[in-house]
Amino acid sequence: MSATAHAAAPPSPSRRRTRGGTGDMAFRLLAAGAALLVLVLLGLTALSMLWGGWPAFRTFGLHFFIGTEWDPVAKRFAALVPIYGTLVTAAIAMLIAVPVSFGIAVFLTEVSPRWLRGPVAAAIELLAGVPSIIYGMWGLFVFVPFMADHVDPWIDGTLGGLPLIGPLFAGPPMGIGMLTAGIILAIMVVPFISAVMRDVFALVPPPLRESAFALGATRWEVVRKVVLPYTRTAVVGGIFLGLGRALGETMAVTFVLGNAHDFSISLLAPGNSIAAAIANEFTEADSEIYRSSLIALGFLLFVVTFIVLAAARLMLARMARQAGR
Amino acid sequence: MADGETRPGEAAHDARAEGSGAAQVEIRNLEFFYGATRALKGITLDMPARQVTALIGPSGCGKSTLLRVLNRMYDLYPGQRATGEVLLDGINILDAAIDLNELRSRVGMVFQKPTPFPMSIYDNIAFGVKLHERLSRSQMDERVEWSLTRAALWEEVKDRLSSSSMGLSGGQQQRLCIARTIAVRPEVILLDEPTSALDPISTLRIEELIDELKRDFTIAIVTHNMQQAARCADQVALFYLGELVEIGSATQMFTAPRERRTQDYITGRFG
Amino acid sequence: MPVSRALHRRRRIVNLLGLTVATLATLFGLVWLVWILGVTLANGIGAVDAKLFTEMTPPPGESGGLLNAIVGSAIEIALGVLFGTPVGVMAGTWLAEYAQVRALAGTIRFLNDILLSAPSIVIGLFVYALVVRPSGHFSGWAGGVALALVLLPVVVRTSDETMRLVPATMREAALALGAPKWRMVTQVIWPAARTGISTGILLAIARISGETAPLLFTALNNQYWTVNPADPIANIPVVIFQFALSPYDQWHRLAWAGALLMTVVVLALSVGARAALRRSR
Repeated sequence: MSATAHAAAPPSPSRRRTRGGTGDMAFRLLAAGAALLVLVLLGLTALSMLWGGWPAFRTFGLHFFIGTEWDPVAKRFAALVPIYGTLVTAAIAMLIAVPVSFGIAVFLTEVSPRWLRGPVAAAIELLAGVPSIIYGMWGLFVFVPFMADHVDPWIDGTLGGLPLIGPLFAGPPMGIGMLTAGIILAIMVVPFISAVMRDVFALVPPPLRESAFALGATRWEVVRKVVLPYTRTAVVGGIFLGLGRALGETMAVTFVLGNAHDFSISLLAPGNSIAAAIANEFTEADSEIYRSSLIALGFLLFVVTFIVLAAARLMLARMARQAGR
Repeated sequence: MADGETRPGEAAHDARAEGSGAAQVEIRNLEFFYGATRALKGITLDMPARQVTALIGPSGCGKSTLLRVLNRMYDLYPGQRATGEVLLDGINILDAAIDLNELRSRVGMVFQKPTPFPMSIYDNIAFGVKLHERLSRSQMDERVEWSLTRAALWEEVKDRLSSSSMGLSGGQQQRLCIARTIAVRPEVILLDEPTSALDPISTLRIEELIDELKRDFTIAIVTHNMQQAARCADQVALFYLGELVEIGSATQMFTAPRERRTQDYITGRFG
Repeated sequence: MPVSRALHRRRRIVNLLGLTVATLATLFGLVWLVWILGVTLANGIGAVDAKLFTEMTPPPGESGGLLNAIVGSAIEIALGVLFGTPVGVMAGTWLAEYAQVRALAGTIRFLNDILLSAPSIVIGLFVYALVVRPSGHFSGWAGGVALALVLLPVVVRTSDETMRLVPATMREAALALGAPKWRMVTQVIWPAARTGISTGILLAIARISGETAPLLFTALNNQYWTVNPADPIANIPVVIFQFALSPYDQWHRLAWAGALLMTVVVLALSVGARAALRRSR
């Protein structure tokens, strides 16, 4: 019996083609090349910035990190002011954003009725979608005057006179400055941190939560004693993720920091940050060493955020492995 | 026809099957490894042409593994390897020089769950055919109709060939996958528990289909269902812990098994 | 047991307090959202008129629109998508379908995730060194490359993730028909992951539509009409930046109009893409 005997339409004689050898190889190489490009780009970014910043590092040495003079005319550059500003604004941002994000995550997982969760989570997510230059404009035209009129005078009056920490809060009520920038940064990173927290809270095995409830624990106690300890690594990872963003955020802080190069300890005084200094001055840098100093700042920012973000990813990956088991 | 042909090593083998004599697939001393774990141990068996060979046994016994050796599906996964010989018409398909794409055009496979591709019904069939043959539009139309007819699906889908295959029922999707497989005109068809995800009526249709298809193709089917093996198969092979326990005609296996373990398995005492 | 009852009451109060504070924190977050979007809308609506879409950015004190910036932004975004998407999808394909050395794939995924949140101003500096400096001038091409670098990690990640969601049986079924792997990928896996990949691209477009920092030292700005990517090219974010920090009222109005335009586009894209992504899972 022939294979075609039952066929409604007799199949044509076999003309099998074997293709794919070269096509497969080409496609595979193309894909591998694209994937490697991701690696190469990251490496090139670091290298190009080290290369561009090298003259500044070589000329100014360690003094680049601890000095405060920033003098384009005399061509002397030291970056303590923007470094200090970056660290302080990020610290203020984290001080506000971490508890707020935790509160939002607790609200979404424990308090909110089910029907409200989606809309509230989406609204918070929307904060992450607003372009950072919008935060900057709103900050400059709306929030800075608000701070100058209502918040700064009050802080100066109450905290400014205190011993020890007083100088941090004493200053002219101008609205612009590190406190304002820190608050805006906090709003910007809240959606990132709270999203991570909410996601990892949901990873807690239901039996674990239920057995705590079964012992008579209140919701708050379950969160504090069971959920938070179980998710601690990932929660810290989420916080680091937010920190990485706060350190590198450019446009929003550029509008409200004041681009000052005089060192001031006060949170109410104009300041600077690494990203803001680069954004403000890079196209105007008129000498090689000026530009190199700004690129050196970029390199510093890149290295610091890389370390913070890498730590964040490692902690989140640990949680993901734990939950996968 | 190759029916009367004999090869060295075959003479010693008793001709169990009636009708066609040529062993289309001959497995010789096959060993299979997942990393260091030996999943198949010295398997030797023949699958005669135009017969249905059912592979049965408890989960993890190696029956699905054997199926995946026959079209070298295991090559997808690092750390899996096979030794011994699997002869398809006398050619060892375990040979490293074998063109896998060509091999898979000769040995088709249908999976446990339906796997329609995200494209139209027509394109699902044409996808496989286009890989191996250049057909004109009308030749392709003929081939699509032919394979869908053989898979007993033509009447149900002939008016909506260009609609998505995702809209078909589970049983229809599985018949589409069978049609897609036979459209390539393979010599062997591997069925990996093809009805385990289907309702009884769809299962019956597929079993009827298998009976019809064996007139043209050599078929190997893995099944958990004893009745299915009894209904569909010409010969049945029982596996246990990676070993071939017993092989024989369906009648002999279910009525007069030689091995104690076969009897136990068939009567449901283990597995 | 009076002691126990006191303890019980204290625990209940702490619980109530904790959950109330959590609710207030959520309200606190939502207040900012309403405030920021409200201000943008109020200031932006008043500044939108027909001239916005028909006239060039004006010199100080004169009236005008944002036509050159709108068109320039569209060109920049298109270039970013053009450069970044093929590379991103191919890299995602390699990660999901080809990477057999797990350590290498893991490293690339890890670094890609870092690129995802890396400061975009650094990307601006990098492209300045890579394109602007060697070519000797700012250009639309450079801006497109910078935006492509911002878009790339988003596309890599979403294509990798959605392709890995395609069931393994789909791959086996294609290969069992004798398909070479590249055909399996292009004709079966890509169509199966189509929704995920395209919403990923939409998300990435939303992201680059709102980016300013990478364009500051690449595309720069241009007061005049140009559609030639070899020139510096006007674009909404940099125009907003310059106009908002200027002392001129008319420029402020245009900055608000641009801000509203940008916010609407970015939020519409990202909300739409997220909704589509959620529905497809």
